Amino acid sequence: MRLRTLTLRHFRNVAFARLDFVGRRQFFVGQNGQGKTNLLEAAGYLTAARSFRTAESATLLMHDQTTAAVACTLEHARLGETQVTIKVHRHSKELWCDQTRVTRLADYLGKFPTVVFSSQDLQLVRGAPAGRRRWLDLTLAAMDGSYLQALQTYTRALAERNALLKKGGAVAAQLEAFERVLAPAAVELIARRISGLQSIGAGMAAGYQKLCDGTEPAALVYAPDFAQPDQEALLARWAAGRARDLALRSTHTGPHRDDFALKVSGQEAKDFGSEGQQRSVVLALRLAQAAWFHAKSGVRPVLLADDVLGELDPGRRRKFWATIDPESQVLATGTALPDAELGTWEIFRVKEGDFQPEASA
Amino acid sequence: MTPAFEKLQQQLKQLPGLGYRSAERIALHLLVEKPAQLTALVSALEAAARSVRRCERCGNLAEGDVCGICADERRDRSVVCVVEHVPDLVALERSGAYRGSYHVLHGKLSPIHGVGPDQLNLAALQARLAAGEVAELILALSNDVEGEATCHYLTEQLPPAQAVKVTRIGFGLPSGGGVLYADSVTLKSALDGRRSYS
Ligand SMILES: [Zn+2]
Repeated sequence: MRLRTLTLRHFRNVAFARLDFVGRRQFFVGQNGQGKTNLLEAAGYLTAARSFRTAESATLLMHDQTTAAVACTLEHARLGETQVTIKVHRHSKELWCDQTRVTRLADYLGKFPTVVFSSQDLQLVRGAPAGRRRWLDLTLAAMDGSYLQALQTYTRALAERNALLKKGGAVAAQLEAFERVLAPAAVELIARRISGLQSIGAGMAAGYQKLCDGTEPAALVYAPDFAQPDQEALLARWAAGRARDLALRSTHTGPHRDDFALKVSGQEAKDFGSEGQQRSVVLALRLAQAAWFHAKSGVRPVLLADDVLGELDPGRRRKFWATIDPESQVLATGTALPDAELGTWEIFRVKEGDFQPEASA
Repeated sequence: MTPAFEKLQQQLKQLPGLGYRSAERIALHLLVEKPAQLTALVSALEAAARSVRRCERCGNLAEGDVCGICADERRDRSVVCVVEHVPDLVALERSGAYRGSYHVLHGKLSPIHGVGPDQLNLAALQARLAAGEVAELILALSNDVEGEATCHYLTEQLPPAQAVKVTRIGFGLPSGGGVLYADSVTLKSALDGRRSYS
């Protein structure tokens, strides 16, 4: 898909901006803190009404405002020209697709893929498991409404079980009741994580080869807390863990404890990789995410490259741009203009939440 | 505004679904615009508070010891449809598809909101089951996390010696939704298409 216009209102530091895009390459240049990343965040918001930077909707609202809005007109391989508007309120969201209100997020998902490449991505290798789980959930849910439903059911039932564990006492029968709600949702999550990570992992391994000239193999390995997508086995595990969970006042087993490892030459990139290897691994992971989105949705995702050019050495930078799908629209940011060898871009100067298109040369 | 008016408005604002503005509008309506309605309203409230209570058997609204449905000899007492709230029962009655009896739990299990078995109308249901009069239990609770968990809990708590058939309605109900928001046709097909549950 390709964004033709993007409009922001009261979104973080952007009071109002309406941007028109002609081709497939847009570059936003400006000092840090001016609003470049906010623009990419708004574009990324179209995919699943989720921000890649925060889980708190309220932080997206401009100071003293009660509603932020992101709207766009896009060319879509399946839907033709489509208008999407998302209004973000303090505690709720409104989705509109071609002037029709979308009432169920599950119906909306899977249509408008975008993939972010951010300097924060290094945390996917280096950081805690929670960050990788959030990426995994956002990625799988973005293409699959039933994954989102299973995740919501699981999260809610887990919160109820944990509330019981904190209360304590003779709650075994109630714990079991909520475990029976957890089990089918957990099975769905585990099964979909296995198949999703298999596809994305294969794409990541191939992408890493291209980025690094095939010198060393990379791999993505699912590290589930419990690998069997089997309800009875899960129920037995939760039942066996009740005494421990009551003592620790929270649920210590289940897919909410899942993780995955990113490896280079068989070793965890987190512990043994050089900074260059780690950067290449996350780039390859994001490229694989884009390829998976494309395969799942039948729509070419818009790539949002947040200052990734600046951080790579020239060799990796060239290979990165050689690896991406040339048909993809790319919205990129940087503190300096891109090298001439990267082709021509529509340039926007960003200052204090204002975006000025530069007259094309 | 006067102190007495403000006190009334405060009380009205405590009612479900009423905000500050609507409380003010109702107070003005009753005191200034249509004071004649006030006397009727106050006596209706007093009369209802004196006579309306929970049915001893099923938890429905009743004016005697038992409600109209429990008192009706033509209703099948061996089939019990378990619902969360009285309005769910009313919606099912309106569908006209059901001739059994009911049991109103007045809620569903939700530890987050401090609702456990002791907060629900479960003892009366256990008594009905123990008396051996129940052959089928139809679980008509909402199909969200708490509704499902409550169904599992009820099923676990059945006396093991008796063969009680347990069914669950839910087909046709919007996911995460409850009985109250479904229309009559949907409710009828949900009742007809109930599936066995355990
Ligand atoms: Zn009754």
